[in-house]
Amino acid sequence: MSSKTFFASSDDSKICVVMVGLPARGKSLIAGKAMRYLGWVGIPARVFNVGTYRRNATPQPNANFFDPHNSEGEKMRRAAAEAAMEDMINWFNAGKGVVAILDATNSTRKRRQWIYESCRAANIEPLFVESICDDEDLIMNNILEVKTTSPDYKGQDPEVAALDFRNRIRNYEKVYEGIGDDENHYTYVKLINVGSTVVINQIKDYLSSRLVYYIQNLHIKPRSIWLSRHGESKYNLTGKIGGDASISDRGEAYARALPGLLKKSGVPPNTKIVIWTSTLKRTIQTARHLAAETGYEKLEWKALDELDSGVCDGLTYEEIAEKYPEDFAARDEDKYNYRYRGGESYRDVVIRLEPIIMELERSENVIIVTHQAVLRCIYSYFLNVAQEQSPWMEVPLHTLIKLTPRAYGTEEQRYKADIPAVSTWRAKGTSAKHQDFPSEVKA
Amino acid sequence: MDTLLTADIVVNSPRFRRKSSTFVDAIHDLPEKADLAPAQLYSTESGRLFHSGRIVIITVGLPARGKTHMSVAMARYLRWLGVKTRIFHLGDYRRATIPHGQDIPDDYFFVNASASSVLLRQKIVKRCREDIYQFLNEENGQIAIYDAVNPSAAGRRSLANEFAKHEIETLFIESWCDDYRIIEENVRRVKISSPDYVGWTSEDAVKHYLARISARIPQFHTMEEKDLNYIKMINAGERLIVNNKSFGYLSNRIVFYLLNLHIKTRRTYFARAGVSVEPNSYKADGPLSEQGQDYAKKMTETLLKDRELEKQAIIEGGETDYELKPLTVWTSTRRRTVETAKYLHETGYKVRQRSQLSQLNPGVCELKSERRIREEYPEEVAKHELDPYHHRYPRAESYHDLAVRLEPIILELEREQNDLLIIAHESVLRVLYGYLMACNAADIPFLEFPRDEIIEIIPESYQNEARRIQIPDLPKEIIPGSPEDIKIPVPPSGLNTPSVQGIGSPNDGVVTPQGGIRTPREPERISQQHVEDVV
Repeated sequence: MSSKTFFASSDDSKICVVMVGLPARGKSLIAGKAMRYLGWVGIPARVFNVGTYRRNATPQPNANFFDPHNSEGEKMRRAAAEAAMEDMINWFNAGKGVVAILDATNSTRKRRQWIYESCRAANIEPLFVESICDDEDLIMNNILEVKTTSPDYKGQDPEVAALDFRNRIRNYEKVYEGIGDDENHYTYVKLINVGSTVVINQIKDYLSSRLVYYIQNLHIKPRSIWLSRHGESKYNLTGKIGGDASISDRGEAYARALPGLLKKSGVPPNTKIVIWTSTLKRTIQTARHLAAETGYEKLEWKALDELDSGVCDGLTYEEIAEKYPEDFAARDEDKYNYRYRGGESYRDVVIRLEPIIMELERSENVIIVTHQAVLRCIYSYFLNVAQEQSPWMEVPLHTLIKLTPRAYGTEEQRYKADIPAVSTWRAKGTSAKHQDFPSEVKA
Repeated sequence: MDTLLTADIVVNSPRFRRKSSTFVDAIHDLPEKADLAPAQLYSTESGRLFHSGRIVIITVGLPARGKTHMSVAMARYLRWLGVKTRIFHLGDYRRATIPHGQDIPDDYFFVNASASSVLLRQKIVKRCREDIYQFLNEENGQIAIYDAVNPSAAGRRSLANEFAKHEIETLFIESWCDDYRIIEENVRRVKISSPDYVGWTSEDAVKHYLARISARIPQFHTMEEKDLNYIKMINAGERLIVNNKSFGYLSNRIVFYLLNLHIKTRRTYFARAGVSVEPNSYKADGPLSEQGQDYAKKMTETLLKDRELEKQAIIEGGETDYELKPLTVWTSTRRRTVETAKYLHETGYKVRQRSQLSQLNPGVCELKSERRIREEYPEEVAKHELDPYHHRYPRAESYHDLAVRLEPIILELEREQNDLLIIAHESVLRVLYGYLMACNAADIPFLEFPRDEIIEIIPESYQNEARRIQIPDLPKEIIPGSPEDIKIPVPPSGLNTPSVQGIGSPNDGVVTPQGGIRTPREPERISQQHVEDVV
């Protein structure tokens, strides 16, 4: 009996997230974040930005181009939308895609109906996500953000760019139609003023509900996230992994230097920062002086504890290679999925970090003092590092990483404290104790 | 028939502890302090998770809008995640306070009620609120669900203020409905089984009941208070409006859950897959053997016949226009389960394959006898016996891993509107059953689903009930537990098996049934009769 073919599985829902909203409402930010989040939890996702298609034909259009009465412009924008839709459907048909995100203003009923029908014809479930905002400060903030980072205004005078952008928005406002009651048969989410009110309509499957859950946690207020490993620990000195050791003298020096380092990285005036640590001694000790000097609120998270190395806890890599040679080799083979005996894999860590990521998205300025593997996972979420690469990333001790989310990606800066520490990075296939990260890879 | 029992227990002994057998939904049992929940990712010293503080969830909505169902469902999910949650049904307190046989005063819900009614109302609410404080302040509780009508904006605001004084956050959840069909179905389902309506036609009973509600609660304000945190669920989940003043992680998570919840009832059935050609091999993924095909056929016939009988019984009970809900079948992607659904598929039932439903991966234990496992992995066996729920053999999954992996299925289970048959491996059935019946994590590896029984879970709004449907004429050898399962979880007979006359007192919960299995055949029904408000 040909068992597997006698009926098809319908486990493979395909979703197209359709952004809706005026410019400077955080659409690209939401689109980019949703894509990174999905990739991070292992769901293949891609953004199709209609603007990119349009730019191929008209690299730097002025506001006139977006005037609805400019039929040439209208025609070209329609062509760009069609090209994006076609690529999207091809991407789904190629087999791997699960969620596509169509990033454009999609500001008319007519356009949305066309998208709805095109998707349904291709067996794709459209999920409209409308971002509505009437808070002028927030809009201005976004305009400033976009005008400095959008490829449309590369190399242009920022003042001129800002003015042009405001005009562009006005053109859109003339024709903008929000999702209305006659569109209640669509699956949609309306985010009003950055999620202070959310209307969620006709969610039809689990994956959509999960996306909505994620999106609902997002905000578009400017902020930064600082990441640091704990200061060098006594275990680091001997090359042992895991454990709950205290920090070394040099680690203590880093803990004392941390408040200054944070200041140096640029903290806007009157900024409130919350300090997050794990529940292990070395991170709590590292954040101790920072908390005392700044008076910032401090939270300890069990979920930020280091990857549990099970039976290997307290061993050096050399000892692991000797005691558990098969495990050691298996780990190098697929470090992301390898699970220590009685312990965790990177994949397991990602699962337990999900609440942390949601909380991070809801929060504003946060400094996280945690551990190598956990930090790699969090960093990968923000910088879109592939699963195969993330466990091999170098994250040196005594270095503060500042991440600032922007509309078109996350900005990263690193600040090294001038305090020596051992290297805890290990290359594939070695069991070296304190190996240096190869400089050619650093770029 | 208004049992004062539950209410009395709840009201007069707030710390009363009881553990039901695994065959009765334990959602109203009070969690033991050391229990770890099935899908809990980690434990914290305070017992509170996600730095989310303490929250009172307050339901809002007229009777017959599914509030109790929603409360119970949320509690089920939150506890599954490891959040210490308890439900406080105000109706229980009302019944316990008003002398038996006496009705509530006519103006009880009125805005301008008489002084005596206001006093009575305050007395009842106060008792309930004190128990909530007790739970959140003294017993390390994290979420209290306060299940009541809460019809007025002023009343809701004062509740929020009152809890704020104790640094407890509030989240209001309104169930709002203008679809008459949904209301009618709810009334039929939970309200008119009341003795008040014996001998009425269901149509008349529904009409009368709804008229009574409008007379009793003439004023109901839907939530518009922009200064409060609220979620408004419209028409059983068709649309949700979220007013987010200060939602924390858990509040957002609840929205996520509610996006998958509806308030209609349906039945869930669990059945094992048939025996396959290479029953001991996990990797072989063999097709059904001849015996397996015979089982698939008999299982199908038994289920369809049982459904038909249930329908007849309901029709004879007076609901002449009763129709069964359509039946959907889920299988895993493994061959045995897919092929077990073959006859149902051929009869025209919709079958979906779900990859997440695949069984617990046995890792190195595959194809090994218990003796060999004990010989080769003595240390692992020792660890396993200490904590069969969380321990995983090399390369294997633990039940905890399985529970975390099944989260999407759990939510889709809530989402499904049709009756649902799940055909899966015993390990999967254990976890899903554990969710629906609020089992303790430690009991889950020991639940047993012999092949000659289909389990039916019948949702009542207050609690779920399980029923076993016998599949007749099956050869004895295919009935017991899964052959390729990790056998260690079941202690060798005579070692840990709790005997019925056992050592522990019945209240310890150890005394669940015979033969090393903890699922009772004839469950000791610690019945919690909850009578729905007939206001």
